[in-house]
Amino acid sequence: MIQDVIIGIAGAGGDGVISAGESLITAAALEGYHGMMTKSFGSQIRGGEASCRVRLSTHPVLNPNGPLDVAVALNWEDFRRFGAELPVESSTMVVYESRTGVAADQLPLEGVRPGVVFSVPIAEMAQQNAGTEKAKNIVIIGLLAGWFGIGRESMLAGIRKKFARKGAEVVEGNARAFQAGLDFAEAHPLKEDRKLGAPHNRSAKMLTDGNDICAAAAIFAGCTFFGGYPITPSTEIMQFLDREIWKYGGAVLQAEDEIAGVGAVVGASFAGKKAMTATSGPGMSLKTEMLGLASIAELPLVCINVQRGGPSTGIPTKAEQSDLFQAAFSAHGDCLRPVLAPVSVGDTFGITVEAFNLAEQYQTPVIVLSDQEIAQRKETVEPIDTSRFGLVERRRPTDAELVNYTRFKVTESGISPISQPGVPGGNYLASGIEHNEAGGPTANGETHARMNEKRFRKFNSLKNRRDLFAVEGEPDAPIGLVSWGSVSGVAKEALRLAQAEGLHVKLLVPKLLYPVVETVYQDFFASVRRGLFIEQSFQGQLYRLVRMYADVPARVRPLAKSGSNPIQPTEVLERLREMVASLQATHQHAEAIEG
Amino acid sequence: MSTALQVEPTIETSKSGAQLVKDTYKGKVHPDWCPGCGDFSVLSALQTALLELRLSPHQVVVISGIGCSSNLPGFINTYGMHTLHGRSLAVGVGLKLANHELKVICVGGDGDGYGIGGNHFLHTLRRNVDLTYIVMDNQIYGLTTGQTSPTSVKGMKTKSTPHGNVENPINPIPLAMVGGATYVARGFSGKQKHLVELFKGAITHHGFALVDVFSPCVTYNKDNTYQWFNPRVKPLEEQGHDPTDFHKALDKGYQFGEEVPIGLFWKRNDLPTLEDLEPVLHDGGGPLAFRGLGIPGEQCRALIQELL
Ligand SMILES: Cc1ncc(C[n+]2csc(CCOP(=O)(O)OP(=O)(O)O)c2C)c(N)n1
Ligand code: SF4
Repeated sequence: MIQDVIIGIAGAGGDGVISAGESLITAAALEGYHGMMTKSFGSQIRGGEASCRVRLSTHPVLNPNGPLDVAVALNWEDFRRFGAELPVESSTMVVYESRTGVAADQLPLEGVRPGVVFSVPIAEMAQQNAGTEKAKNIVIIGLLAGWFGIGRESMLAGIRKKFARKGAEVVEGNARAFQAGLDFAEAHPLKEDRKLGAPHNRSAKMLTDGNDICAAAAIFAGCTFFGGYPITPSTEIMQFLDREIWKYGGAVLQAEDEIAGVGAVVGASFAGKKAMTATSGPGMSLKTEMLGLASIAELPLVCINVQRGGPSTGIPTKAEQSDLFQAAFSAHGDCLRPVLAPVSVGDTFGITVEAFNLAEQYQTPVIVLSDQEIAQRKETVEPIDTSRFGLVERRRPTDAELVNYTRFKVTESGISPISQPGVPGGNYLASGIEHNEAGGPTANGETHARMNEKRFRKFNSLKNRRDLFAVEGEPDAPIGLVSWGSVSGVAKEALRLAQAEGLHVKLLVPKLLYPVVETVYQDFFASVRRGLFIEQSFQGQLYRLVRMYADVPARVRPLAKSGSNPIQPTEVLERLREMVASLQATHQHAEAIEG
Repeated sequence: MSTALQVEPTIETSKSGAQLVKDTYKGKVHPDWCPGCGDFSVLSALQTALLELRLSPHQVVVISGIGCSSNLPGFINTYGMHTLHGRSLAVGVGLKLANHELKVICVGGDGDGYGIGGNHFLHTLRRNVDLTYIVMDNQIYGLTTGQTSPTSVKGMKTKSTPHGNVENPINPIPLAMVGGATYVARGFSGKQKHLVELFKGAITHHGFALVDVFSPCVTYNKDNTYQWFNPRVKPLEEQGHDPTDFHKALDKGYQFGEEVPIGLFWKRNDLPTLEDLEPVLHDGGGPLAFRGLGIPGEQCRALIQELL
């Protein structure tokens, strides 16, 4: 029995590859398995080749990467187009459409000869049982359900539901196609060491993606206004809110561009609402000026940036962690705004709620750096216990404070009571021009310095939020990994692999990326002699950002790759082994000198 | 055909002497549009128009924003730029001023041109910059998979308006006329020959020329389809419309329903373009782009003198 299986399926557009993957992971989630699914498409706008990767596990899944355990090719041309996204090794079990006419020992896979290969007449089975080749994907889920013992009943029920509208004949045809897949699997059983074990708990999991869960979290946090503009891969946040927010007393504006989108959010926040915008790449660049306004006018708002490949249009459909510098620094003037990043789909809920809380508490824009992978991958999530999350609201003026109300009063904490239009006595001017405590415009250098100081000082207490940093592994380990966002799942898996080999390693995952909390890094690096920042960007932006503020040991280096080049846990493990060896060598050298 | 659509043969023919055929304008990449997308017809009509005007690929620059339609410059063999969402006109103006001998053709979608690029649209036509602007108007955001656009009709259900669009659409024809465009036309992907004539008229027009083309998105717009347009579109050229009559043209421009007029609504030739008004372009030195970089020593000394 294995604990983890990675399945990759590829075919032409219209083959139903994605819906096969979705059926499989849905059924698995209902039975208590953990899983992740990612999809990928060819370059044509619609109707081109499509593929998906489904990783199922008896235990929580940390990332979707790794070579395939099972490869399903509906045709080889399309399968091969996905190259490194669907890596086949000799241990991979290969299932392919017989009609491709390829001999089982001559698969068109350079340099790899998989040991277990099934040539299956998928199209023929679909035609014979359902009367249409369109049922190819149903045959595939029958095969996989049969081999891995997942979701026979639930998938059949799903098929019945899906085709119910098309009449009894279509339903039965598809049910037969599913059964044909099951029968084939039964007639060609897997060896014990390829079968998937039972889930470690059988409670059904939620299945969702980062965009939907982010939108749901915003509603939970009390967001009642969203302004934005469609852009891949963030659009689903707006679409979810378009469908749902009105039920909770909120409204959405699809603006004419991102500037207007965030402009409306600034207006709604001034009016007193919790408000949010979401965007990606080029849209984030456009929002820059308005975010500066929100900073100086001290207006709370949340801006979700679903990172994609850049700069400019870049690669809209692939994740990258290359907007960290932009999030931290893209403002003219001295300006600080918190930047948060979730590590997974499930984590996106809490981080989004946290973003609203920080925005309200500190009266500031907060940027959340999600990424395309988290945003669009389907992932199993344990049911959310909402009682875990407290909600924060902005500090309103008391009646006494409304007498001679001073909106930007320099207080000890730096946080001033914020009124809202409609409140008698609370009127003030929210402005982008520098202002005095009462909100009146000023060019006075002393006032400017005092207000800057106040706007920075109010974040001092944010640096005590150790709960926004996760540390795992041996506290005194001489080897330290640092990673953030979706890629931290890879680092975490590498940590597990290293621990299993008895290596002394630890991992730091910051979820609050900016301001850089120096003490967290100082404490973490105290025992560290070698290490890596694992990041999906060419520059290694977190590595460079942290070094601006904290001391990083010289032999801690970035392992940074441009987006669309997955970092594999095994590759991190390899680097860890090298570091252990080099540490031992230095040790021996030192001992030899002493001896 | 009405006289208004006839092209004055003022364009130079290919100087390189190479034979121009339609394949001359075929790009290196095959279009990635969905089969049946209206944009194929726009591409083909543009290629035909360039051929019939005997314009060589090096004399033409096709500039786009971002969107399905904005992928067009990749599919045509001329100079090209694929810029940012909504910004093709902003880039186009700079290009035209730097080399006013080029034929500059900006292309894009309705979201690109009238939504995010709406500001540039108003100011480019107001300045009467001598360029052609082709908007492939499918009344939806195609590339981002089907959200409402500034030209989506009221009530239309899209991914971002699940309860139906509540906003009034932009009507680019009267908007462009009132804003100061000097050539305002509308075409339909289903009428390619007609489109070719509109494009030729626009490219040879001296001033800002808008051709808004109904170019159906077969994947995401299930309301305004070929079937919807086919019985409705009525060429103005068959109705004896006089494109120099501003008020009639406005009336026609407002029509959208059982009858949808297409063709040349409005044209005037009596206004100077932005380039006409730029003195440096008329000092006999040719396009700025081909003049030397830097300034001669004598001028340099004069400049420094100015500072003293
Ligand atoms: C600044 C910015 N915001 C959003 C996007 C995402 N985006 C790309 S194309 C597009 C709209 C496409 O609609 P349209 O311009 O009508 O062209 P079509 O795809 O329909 O041809 C959007 C919103 C972007 N590329 N840049
Ligand atoms: S999505 Fe619509 S606009 Fe885009 S290529 Fe397909 S049919 Fe054309």
